Amino acid sequence: MKNSIAVLFLSLFIVSIATAGGPWTQQKGKGYYKLSEWWLTYNQHYTDTGATDPNITTGIFNTSLYAEYGFTDRLTGVIYAPLFSRNYYNNQVSNTTGEVIIQGESLNSVGDFDVSIKYGLTQPGAKIPIAVTLTLGLPLGQTGQGALNILQTGDGEFNQMIQFDAGTSFQFGNINVYSSATIGFNNRTKGFSEEFRYGYEIGAGLMNQKLWLIGRLGGVESFQNGALTDPNTSTSIFANNSEFTSFGIEAAYYVTKQFGVSASFASAFRGRIIAAAPSYSIGVFYDLSK
Amino acid sequence: MKSYLIAFILVSLSLFGCIKDDFIEDFVEPTLRITTVPDTILVNSEYQFEFMFLNNIGVEEEVNAVWSSSNTDIIEIDESGLALTKTIGIADIKVMYSNNEINLEEVATVRVGMSTVEAITERDGRIKTTSSYTLEGDFKLSENQGQLTIEFFEDYRASTALPGLYVYLSNNPNAIGNALEIGAVETFSGSHVYTLENIGINDYEYLVYFCKPFNVKVGDGTIN
Repeated sequence: MKNSIAVLFLSLFIVSIATAGGPWTQQKGKGYYKLSEWWLTYNQHYTDTGATDPNITTGIFNTSLYAEYGFTDRLTGVIYAPLFSRNYYNNQVSNTTGEVIIQGESLNSVGDFDVSIKYGLTQPGAKIPIAVTLTLGLPLGQTGQGALNILQTGDGEFNQMIQFDAGTSFQFGNINVYSSATIGFNNRTKGFSEEFRYGYEIGAGLMNQKLWLIGRLGGVESFQNGALTDPNTSTSIFANNSEFTSFGIEAAYYVTKQFGVSASFASAFRGRIIAAAPSYSIGVFYDLSK
Repeated sequence: MKSYLIAFILVSLSLFGCIKDDFIEDFVEPTLRITTVPDTILVNSEYQFEFMFLNNIGVEEEVNAVWSSSNTDIIEIDESGLALTKTIGIADIKVMYSNNEINLEEVATVRVGMSTVEAITERDGRIKTTSSYTLEGDFKLSENQGQLTIEFFEDYRASTALPGLYVYLSNNPNAIGNALEIGAVETFSGSHVYTLENIGINDYEYLVYFCKPFNVKVGDGTIN
């Protein structure tokens, strides 16, 4: 259960923080699969000072497959695949004349994939499991599209992230509880700054572990060491030098022993050069580790 | 499980964002502007005056305006704005336009003398931020042989944090739909120059800075 719940799909902001679901690896031959819809619409963003400024209403929708499979008891492969990604912005309409000033546009494509391999540094069943994960960010999404060259479904850069997770699980009364923390270093190419990523997650199984409630904290801090901002790229959640600290909650319900549904919400306490709006996700999952 | 998958797909499809409308407050007072204003016109010669009418969103419209001279003994002017100077002196040239909603006029005081001297060859202003991003600095516009130069000085500063900062010439400080895109900002501190061809020094009233990816205004400066 811990394994499954901890790897539930997070919002796009957080998925890269807690990719591969904490320190718990899958058992050999077991897996966890999730199809989800994540979305974010925003009409304001965090500026470089942390204040919020308005912007044209923009939306990003990702239909994603998240899959985790145990090659061995200590080696798990993970893929996050936004199979369909949609980015759009609204028409800008004159309030004076009612005429369209800037025509809204949309872009539909696949998004950037994350492919990860997670290795358990501790033996399966350890009191405090620790795992290391290498994630490769594949720039399969598009960038700089549309008449204004501002639509994108990816950041256009290849990145590689090394991440360490540690956690534990315990009983609180008759409730199963797990807790895990993560830190990561994300190396980005094409002039993007490197990033330090961190996160904490706690989950509790209720109703005989059919309902899991999860809370998350996470963030990204930029090393600000990239090249000067490219004027033709970067927007919304894909900008360079973005930073944020966010929180999220999720509920996952096992309808059957292996099949379940989930819904999540995430928002930011603070941010810098990033959309300022909550994101949402709903999904169905299939847990073969049960 | 099959029904759950179908329900999930249906809900997902319903969430795919449709393009809606964002309304922009882009009203500006309509203006009538004489765009060719000489300081002095050579006596016994012709001079073509021109004007520009900008509507309530700052877009130029073709309208029929009426030209007149305060002293036809010094300057006569016909309905097309073609002036004929007759004797040395000073007269006011006025252009008027009216419709059911507005009555506009602009007056230029013109000398008639021994040579023709163009009056306005330089304008200036100061850009300022209208957002949370840093943007400030003095600038000067100058026109020479059909070439417009926009010069920024040492006190210019712009935030490097913004993705896609662009600068425009516009007649509406709140919208860039009809603005002239000068280009992406590549200098974020200190003096620099933009050079534009076939743009008159009186064609625009504002320098406007927008962040293209966020489609949001960052700052502006009125051209004095």
